[in-house]
Amino acid sequence: MSDNELVNQQFPVKVEQPGGSGNIFARVFDELTAFCRSRSLFILHYCTGCGAIELPPAMTSRFDMERLGISPMVSPRQADILLITGYVSVKTLKRVILTYEQMGSPKYVIGICSCTVNGGMYWQSYATAKKLNDYMPVDLYIAGCMPRPEAVITGLRQLMENIRRGEANGWQDYYQRYDHYLGHQQRLFGETWQTPTDVIAEAKHYGLFSNETLGEHTKLLQQHQKPLEALEMRLGLDSKDKVEP
Amino acid sequence: MSDLDLLLSVAAIAIVLNGLLAGQQLGRWVLTALYALQFALLFSIAPGTDGAQSAVAFHLLDNPVGWQLSAFGWFFAMITIGIAGFCAAYAAGEWGATNAGSGLSMRWLYAGLQINVTAMLLLLSAGDLISLFIGWELTSWAGLILMLLGGGQALLAARRYIIYAIAGGMAIFAGLVMTAGATGSLQYAEVAAAIASVSTGTLWAITLLFVVGFAVKMAILPFHLWQPPAYAFSPGPASAFLGAISARMGLFAIGLVVLKLIGLDGFASLSLWRDVINLRDILLWAAAFTAILPTYVAMRQNDARLLLSWHGVGQGGYMLLGLMITDSLGSAGGLLHVFNYATYQAILLMAVFAVIHRTGTADLNRLGGLVARMPLTFLAMLIGIIGLAGLPPMNGFVSKWMVYRSLVTEGMPLLFVASVISTLGTVLSVYKLLHNTFLGQLRLEHEYVKEAPWSMTVPMMLLCTVVFVTGVMPGLVLGYIADAQAAIGLTPVAFVLGGIESKAGSLDMIWITGVLFAGFGIGAILFYLMGGRTKRVHQLDNYAGGHFLTADVRYQYSDNFYAGLMHRIRPWYRGTFEWAESALVSAVGAASSAARGFFEQANPALWVLVGTTLIVTWVMWHALG
Ligand code: SF4
Repeated sequence: MSDNELVNQQFPVKVEQPGGSGNIFARVFDELTAFCRSRSLFILHYCTGCGAIELPPAMTSRFDMERLGISPMVSPRQADILLITGYVSVKTLKRVILTYEQMGSPKYVIGICSCTVNGGMYWQSYATAKKLNDYMPVDLYIAGCMPRPEAVITGLRQLMENIRRGEANGWQDYYQRYDHYLGHQQRLFGETWQTPTDVIAEAKHYGLFSNETLGEHTKLLQQHQKPLEALEMRLGLDSKDKVEP
Repeated sequence: MSDLDLLLSVAAIAIVLNGLLAGQQLGRWVLTALYALQFALLFSIAPGTDGAQSAVAFHLLDNPVGWQLSAFGWFFAMITIGIAGFCAAYAAGEWGATNAGSGLSMRWLYAGLQINVTAMLLLLSAGDLISLFIGWELTSWAGLILMLLGGGQALLAARRYIIYAIAGGMAIFAGLVMTAGATGSLQYAEVAAAIASVSTGTLWAITLLFVVGFAVKMAILPFHLWQPPAYAFSPGPASAFLGAISARMGLFAIGLVVLKLIGLDGFASLSLWRDVINLRDILLWAAAFTAILPTYVAMRQNDARLLLSWHGVGQGGYMLLGLMITDSLGSAGGLLHVFNYATYQAILLMAVFAVIHRTGTADLNRLGGLVARMPLTFLAMLIGIIGLAGLPPMNGFVSKWMVYRSLVTEGMPLLFVASVISTLGTVLSVYKLLHNTFLGQLRLEHEYVKEAPWSMTVPMMLLCTVVFVTGVMPGLVLGYIADAQAAIGLTPVAFVLGGIESKAGSLDMIWITGVLFAGFGIGAILFYLMGGRTKRVHQLDNYAGGHFLTADVRYQYSDNFYAGLMHRIRPWYRGTFEWAESALVSAVGAASSAARGFFEQANPALWVLVGTTLIVTWVMWHALG
């Protein structure tokens, strides 16, 4: 088996059919959108481990990532990139997943540091999640213990390039293979694990529902999931509501 | 009987009707209609015509006393009756029923409101200085009725108010006596004619006595401390009425005395040290400080009612600032601000009292997230604070723009900066008001709160319409203002429907609003054309550094808002005004309790001791001397 075939077997390649939608402008707008998207990125830096210390130089005047159109953002709802900067303990990982699910799509994940790739020097630790991409799709890893700001900047540029070419589609994978990711999460956190986000409903919302979205793990989730419903604006009480105590 | 007499009689009879009918809900709606009648009667009076002249006239100590409504008074009367009507409607339905159930006398509330309106109409239609003084005293005491209804903190505030009001009244009376002595008359026209021959020293004394007396009501620094608690702790509609218009009677009287009687020339002649400082500068700066300091005090209040009442003091500064520029644009801005402020302050207080009605508190540290439960009240407050902060397209922007513009064109850059600082404080504190009440996390205990009843939301919504419409088309109000300016000897402002059209600067709100909404429209079109989709999330599905939120965790940081800024301001403020005022209040308190003890013989032995000691001292002094 050649290298290429091996790769294709592990990572199924989707070949685009020309003229699929019948809209001749579709591609024009796609590329324009992808280009614009790659030039305006907001980072939520969830600083989990020691690698975080390389971010200040990357952000400030010496390496200045804002010249690339990348700047920090305080809330996940408005952020595009989730930056995981080092080892993730089991406890931290729960928060990281919560935060990731709160981000609006399209969203990208960068794992900085060797610890996010395979556990790094915490490989033997009982408390550290080893492979980040078991729990959420990672678009890009920047390995090193710890990577220098040059490496961080190079990684970010690579991500920009991937976005521009429309190849940074990890976020779609989370919806399409939710059961897979959920399974790993349940293995680590227990069967009662849940977040406030209804990922399955979002998968339908984005039209990314596939036959791997649901599975045995989601079945487990749905047994105990209590959905959080949005607060309704209301002028009075419905009859089904409780009366003022 | 002239039209003015008809209006005043209806207003007087209405007091009795209020006392009779306000006990029942239907009666309260009838009384609201009665305000509509008074409003209509007011509009039938064209100021300056026979109808505006009262047939009632008599002599007091050889001075003729009469009533006549000028365009200047008419403008204030229009606001007074209008706001009173909205307040009456607000209290007519469920608010009245609930509060009557908890022991508030609706008869006194409604009668008090109407007594205030009637007293103010008498003041505003005063035809000479004596009737002005009569109206002034009536208005002062009428305000007390509404304050006393609040009970508790309002009683304390009312005691302070009495001290200030009596002191102010005495200053005005002294001014009156001096005017009579210096000009030989108390008629507006004769005083105005004779004022040129009055010596500068006397003119200073007269002006200062009047201005100080009226400034107390207007709560101009440093006579302002009584006002916020007195207005804030009155019952809902009373508080809205007092806050919206009551203090502006001071502005009316200052405008009348300073601009109409003393006149621009007399006013300009009042200067010290070879023109280094003149009275106008002093008033302008007092107004500017009144606009700044209370605004920042408002910011640190945690009671929504107090926050708004402190703004009442601050915004009064803007009005005086505008009026005292005395050019056509600035004074029109000051007067327009009276109207604008009355409309949105009424909305804001109504919204706050609607929140109190539903949740039982106005504590800004104990509210939050109510937008999902009381969306109409939120909308009302939003429109109100846009007005108060002076942002387009609401009417507060227009009047503030006029004042700013004229400060710039009249060459007063420092005052311009001062008013901008004040606006900054306003924006910060109204954000606190809206944020801490309606945004952020809904408290567990408010989960089942309902929107305020329609009898309260409809008056708010109608006032919001007024705020918006007069913001887009300020010309609707500027017509009355131009007449009012002419009535006190100022150059009327040049206006069009959309705003101002003059050499001093032009403003067309119709265009501004159009552009603003076009911006929103383009945004909306882009969003929806690009297939924009929205998703509602639960408020506990929120980011708190990755924390998993539960309903019992407070994650909205509304407690002690702007703590850092307050830390810098507080000691400075406390060291000056609050110290001086508390010294004054306790001195008066000590004097009055001593006097009471003397009269009631509460401690005869002590008084005998004091008396004998004094006598013995006196005898010994003389024996030794
Ligand atoms: S890779 Fe090295 S620097 Fe990065 S988190 Fe792990 S131990 Fe720390």
